[in-house]
Amino acid sequence: MREAWDSRLGVSVPARIIDITASEPGKPSLSTRLYLPEILRGLATTMRHFVRNFVHMGRLPTILYPERKRGYSERFRGKHILKTREDGTLKCVACYMCAQACPADCIEIVAGEHPKIEYEKYPIVFNIDMLRCVMCGFCVDACPKDALWMSRNYELSFFSRHESVFDITKLAEKPGAGVKDGYGYRPYYPGDGTTPPTDASVVPVVPGDGGRQELREATVDEKRAP
Amino acid sequence: MSTVAPGELAAPAERLRARLSTRFPDPEVAQADLPTIIARPEAWPGLAAFLRDDPEMRFDLFLDLAGVDNLRRPGRPSRFEAVFHLLSTSRNEHVRVRIPLEEGRPGLASVASVWPAANWFEREAYDLFGFDFPGHPNLKRLLCHNGFVGHALRKDYPAGQRWMCTEDDLMVPEFARRESEDADHFETVVVNLGPSHPATHGTLRIVARLDGEQIVEAESEIGYLHRCFEKMSETHTWNQVIPYTDRLNYCSSFINNVAYCKTVERMLGIEVPERGAIVRTVLSEFSRIMDHCVCIGANLVDTGALTNFWYLFQCREEIYSLIEACCGARLTVSYARVGGLSRDVPGDFVARCRRLLDSIPPLLDDVDKLVKKNRIIWERFHGIGVVTREQAIAWGFTGPCLRASGVGYDVRQARPYDFYDRFDFDVPVHRDGDNFARYLVRMAEMRQSLSIIRQALEILPASGPVDCPDWHVVLPPKQNVYHDMESLIYHFKWVMEGIPVPAGERYEWFEGGNGELGFYAVSTGAGRPYRLKVRPPCFPLMAAFEKIIIGSKISDAVATLGTLNIIAGELDR
Repeated sequence: MREAWDSRLGVSVPARIIDITASEPGKPSLSTRLYLPEILRGLATTMRHFVRNFVHMGRLPTILYPERKRGYSERFRGKHILKTREDGTLKCVACYMCAQACPADCIEIVAGEHPKIEYEKYPIVFNIDMLRCVMCGFCVDACPKDALWMSRNYELSFFSRHESVFDITKLAEKPGAGVKDGYGYRPYYPGDGTTPPTDASVVPVVPGDGGRQELREATVDEKRAP
Repeated sequence: MSTVAPGELAAPAERLRARLSTRFPDPEVAQADLPTIIARPEAWPGLAAFLRDDPEMRFDLFLDLAGVDNLRRPGRPSRFEAVFHLLSTSRNEHVRVRIPLEEGRPGLASVASVWPAANWFEREAYDLFGFDFPGHPNLKRLLCHNGFVGHALRKDYPAGQRWMCTEDDLMVPEFARRESEDADHFETVVVNLGPSHPATHGTLRIVARLDGEQIVEAESEIGYLHRCFEKMSETHTWNQVIPYTDRLNYCSSFINNVAYCKTVERMLGIEVPERGAIVRTVLSEFSRIMDHCVCIGANLVDTGALTNFWYLFQCREEIYSLIEACCGARLTVSYARVGGLSRDVPGDFVARCRRLLDSIPPLLDDVDKLVKKNRIIWERFHGIGVVTREQAIAWGFTGPCLRASGVGYDVRQARPYDFYDRFDFDVPVHRDGDNFARYLVRMAEMRQSLSIIRQALEILPASGPVDCPDWHVVLPPKQNVYHDMESLIYHFKWVMEGIPVPAGERYEWFEGGNGELGFYAVSTGAGRPYRLKVRPPCFPLMAAFEKIIIGSKISDAVATLGTLNIIAGELDR
């Protein structure tokens, strides 16, 4: 029952409109009016679900939280993690990109000069107000140093507003301690999506760059790594 | 982008000018993204009636009224503008009417008598811009509370300014103030429903006067979830608005993401690669299924049928898991970006979609089995909350509610975007316009969405980019940012300054979960929107609600509210 033009509906839209008015009876059937036959038929449907769930307990659609938890993907956006270098210092160089990208304005950074000359700059203060945070992951996408990830930990509750502001001690990754619930949202690398980049994997493509490509290739310093 | 040379008019605009000149001297018709009529405020009432009634115009559906404050917008002579968007359902054509307004007391005649849908839109413009609408039946604040001072969307209103609402400022409808009734009505009683009532699905308030069991007068109050989406988007970059759009229609947040991003993409004149566009389509259709699941499930809970809620939410939970695997969040997804998606879908995306396509239909069938012949549902749904075809158009309905009243208007077919013109699907239409019709249309639409997803997965390229390759618009690949100075500069510019969207204005419309979701965006060339107006599909539905329920019972009103599908997040913004 397809029409390009339905004069009855008065529509000139070149749409395929199907009228479903006649698909259901306009009057209640006898069994509907008697109420009980349809209730019993409905109970048959719900009983079928009950028996199926009873036999296949492992496939129940509900989860007995908090005893059991839903498994989340490696992209889950939970509590933030400040990544560390091998020597335990923060990878963050306090460039303010995450604070700038944050739509909720919940990141506070105070930058300082790092005693080690090759690290140059580091955050003295790095606070995330978890009550303001909307868990959008823009900070992770904005980080140019692979320093900010998110974990799969979504159980963030506090007894006071002061506790909701997470500082470096709460955010920084503890070397060897592992991350509660595992790593979640992280920088995305085209390709298989998770392989950390090496210099060799960089394919410099700048659309419409007007021949600056060759110039850059000739001058790129291969030793610079994050 | 328009292919018309500057100074010329495209065919619809030329036709519009020719027709207008028969009645109005020197009509000013401009060609923008839409044919635009520029009129003086004095001419507006006559022009409005002409646009609605003229056989060659027939702009019968009032879509949107957006105020614009030109205080910081270069090249505009007047301080304010009222921008109307109208739709002709019979000719499938949009038009924009722009009315410049002067500073001081900006006002123009109310057109609530021409298009009843304009009633609430005018109240909103009065509330947020301070426009005066002489002749309006009930001109008072709508989104802001009565204790609010000033008009929030004016450019000289500071974004951080707050006002306290005290108990004295509560909205009390005119009819509720009348203490004494005449002898025939001495038993009428005023009932307050909400704002925190389980049947209101969010926070909205309905005050009704009952005569026995029947509602004789009603007025609804919204704004409890108002969080200045439009004001906040003016203080954020184009991309930072995306998490805000999640919270409009939170039952189908991905559709909002896509609609907003496509609006900005069309302003930029860029296209998303095929893979990205089809992934967007697949997830949008899944979101539409979720939206309808929530609507029907919650609606049936209100009428006492709890089991269906579990079945429908089972579909929804499984779709949420798929979306979470793509972007890391279940409800507020923030997955789309201007120019594409935040990241490619995981490797098992197609397999997971196919598993979902198999698991959803049996659950829908079970709901149908439980509901269709149940006598309680039959009596709450059949012939209750009837909206005729004429009423639906006059009240500005779109989406499933309009289609349930017999008008076959679906943006996906009326103006296909992405790849909707390549899919074979139907637009289900019902002519009864009652609660049951809306239920049936939504169920049929879910099955059509499954069919669209099935076809989209067939043509989904196995690999390829999901982002448009323009680093002014999307972030450069991460490994380039780490190792390549040029990419790092693009990255910093993107974060610090935002996307340079060309100056101009644009109205773009898409099929949201419950109707035409429109975004009217004004850019001055800066990295952030100058003005962003969202046309929420359930706003006109809620405006009409207080008229639909006259004569019905409270419990019928609850069922009707459920079938209209009011989402407070996009209603209040």
